[in-house]
Amino acid sequence: MTTDTSSAPASETVAQWVRRSSALRYTVVLAFLLVFAFLSVKAPGFLTVSNFVNILVNNFTILAIVSLAMTLVLLTGGIDLSVGTAIDLASLLFISLISAHQSFLVAIAGGLLGALATGGFNAFLIGGLRIAPFLATLGTLFIGESVQQLATNGGQPIYLITGTLAPAFIYVGHGVFFGIPFPLCLAIGLTAIFYLLTERTSFGRNAVALGANPNVAWYSGARVRSTSGLVYGLSAVTCGVAGIILSATIKAYVPLSGNAYILDAIGATFIGTTLHSEGRPGVLGTTLGVLLLSIVTNGLLLIGWNFYWQQVGTGVLIFFVLAMSFLGRRLRG
Amino acid sequence: MASDLTVPDDAAATKLSAVISSRIGAWFNVGFFIRAGSLLGFVLVIAYFAVAAPGFLSVGNITNVLEQSAILGVLSFGMTIVMIAGGSNVITGGIDLSIANNLGLSAAVYAVLLKTGQPEGVALSLTILTGLGVGLLNAIAVVAIGILPLIATLTVMNICAGFELVITQNTVLQASSPLLAVLAGDGPFGIATLAYVLLFVALILIVVIEYTPFGLRLYAVGGFREAALAAGLSVQRYIAISYILSGLCGSLGAVLSVALLSGSSTGSGDMLLSVVVTALLGVVFSRRVVPTISGSLLSVLFIGFLINGFQLTNISSYWVNGVEGLLILFAVATTSLVKRGDS
Repeated sequence: MTTDTSSAPASETVAQWVRRSSALRYTVVLAFLLVFAFLSVKAPGFLTVSNFVNILVNNFTILAIVSLAMTLVLLTGGIDLSVGTAIDLASLLFISLISAHQSFLVAIAGGLLGALATGGFNAFLIGGLRIAPFLATLGTLFIGESVQQLATNGGQPIYLITGTLAPAFIYVGHGVFFGIPFPLCLAIGLTAIFYLLTERTSFGRNAVALGANPNVAWYSGARVRSTSGLVYGLSAVTCGVAGIILSATIKAYVPLSGNAYILDAIGATFIGTTLHSEGRPGVLGTTLGVLLLSIVTNGLLLIGWNFYWQQVGTGVLIFFVLAMSFLGRRLRG
Repeated sequence: MASDLTVPDDAAATKLSAVISSRIGAWFNVGFFIRAGSLLGFVLVIAYFAVAAPGFLSVGNITNVLEQSAILGVLSFGMTIVMIAGGSNVITGGIDLSIANNLGLSAAVYAVLLKTGQPEGVALSLTILTGLGVGLLNAIAVVAIGILPLIATLTVMNICAGFELVITQNTVLQASSPLLAVLAGDGPFGIATLAYVLLFVALILIVVIEYTPFGLRLYAVGGFREAALAAGLSVQRYIAISYILSGLCGSLGAVLSVALLSGSSTGSGDMLLSVVVTALLGVVFSRRVVPTISGSLLSVLFIGFLINGFQLTNISSYWVNGVEGLLILFAVATTSLVKRGDS
């Protein structure tokens, strides 16, 4: 088995290489089509426009935004376990400021600052102190839990009195922009921005280089540590946006609710890595991964699966897609 | 290390003193001070609470802490074994994120079997089998399929949580049995049985992991995989065994948990973070900057006494998570400092 797949292979391996790499590469697309077909037949009400809108708004939007952040971080070879913390702290500050009768813009700024604080802390630990991302963000996750418990005296949600809400607030959660729900527009917009960021900017290229080979990135003069720090800051702020959308939609802040997105975001991103020829995370793959997870969640609900079996189903699905991805990488050598 | 010193050949005396000072230096380097400092910190925290909270150092309270720490301890040992065999690189190295939910699932299985009137032997064996099964799943995912341990165990964790919810329907399942009554009760000298269990398990694992060839090979596999392979060790097998052992620890912890709580509980997953903290903190207490069972035991006791001290001095338990987070960061920062200091 060759260890160097980038050099020109001998003639007899070219066709094999192409065949091997393409076959398992589109597994996730195949899986998506299969699941879609299965659900169209078996799940009553799946194939309706209103259901698709429902999937996109309720299952897809928030997870997509969080997964974008996770994709960027995973691209650099790190991981961000504190995405939930960024969501929750943004949510906490946003709702608290609205509750305290501050203007909408002040509340947004406060929310984003809360998320930025999380990202800044991560950036300091990872870029500055060179602590491994998994451990640094794990520490941030812990500390964030404490902060939230202390701020809410044990985890009490903060509910907003709906009578006195600014129109802008209502728009963020439930507004419609050219026929598309505003949160979904934000998700689509952010997806486009992240795609351009990772594929078309030098910042994105540095991030990819960092993940592919940190030593080479360092020696080639790329600003490794500041790129790393910026990535975590950006990830946190993006999750802050998700947190603001989330709390604007439910008109409340529920402590520690952001942590539920971590696993699915990681799962979606890793599902997405199967799409790339070298198993790298990417915005397109991640989006497909989020879509897959969304339709599975929705479909299982429509089929009538017990809510708990849904979690098993989603977990098993992620397991299989990951198995395909890693087996594929193994076969490719 | 001494090998890096270049010593003029003609001065035997200089050579001797150089060797002596490097030997002493090997003892009193940065690592020594950090480890000594951590132990000192441990002692100081205990001392603080002994003064601030009357009854902190009473036999009753100490056994209470040991009893509460038994479950965390067993899980921590499982995590430690996986970390030993998997290596210290956090992304590609060994970790078992599923162990806490493994406990949850196994506890649910145990509780439901006891509730439906199954005999103790059947319930116990099926519970252990559940834990082993989860461990096997992890082993297959990591070793056979080749999924990164972080992602593999994360996914298995999700699956375990899902199955647990299916069994318990998100409720607490009460269960009792003679064995559970014994476990939850007191042993000789009025010290809780669970305290004995913790120390017993720790002792066995310390002997196996740190004083047998098997344990040495586990460390070899985790420390330098290529060298272990070159030495002829079946790296795959040892890594697989580590995950299976971790699964076993999960089910063992489940039995203890059902004993302590008289049933299953819905919050087992929350324990994961504490398990990771204690396994990582254990590295600080070891001389070779590797995970060790004894180090993890010390960390578990440290966290246990800390939480207990908080309760006795009326510090809000909401600070606990933050403190654990800071401890992780401390553990990581100091271990990388020690590693850099040694090389």
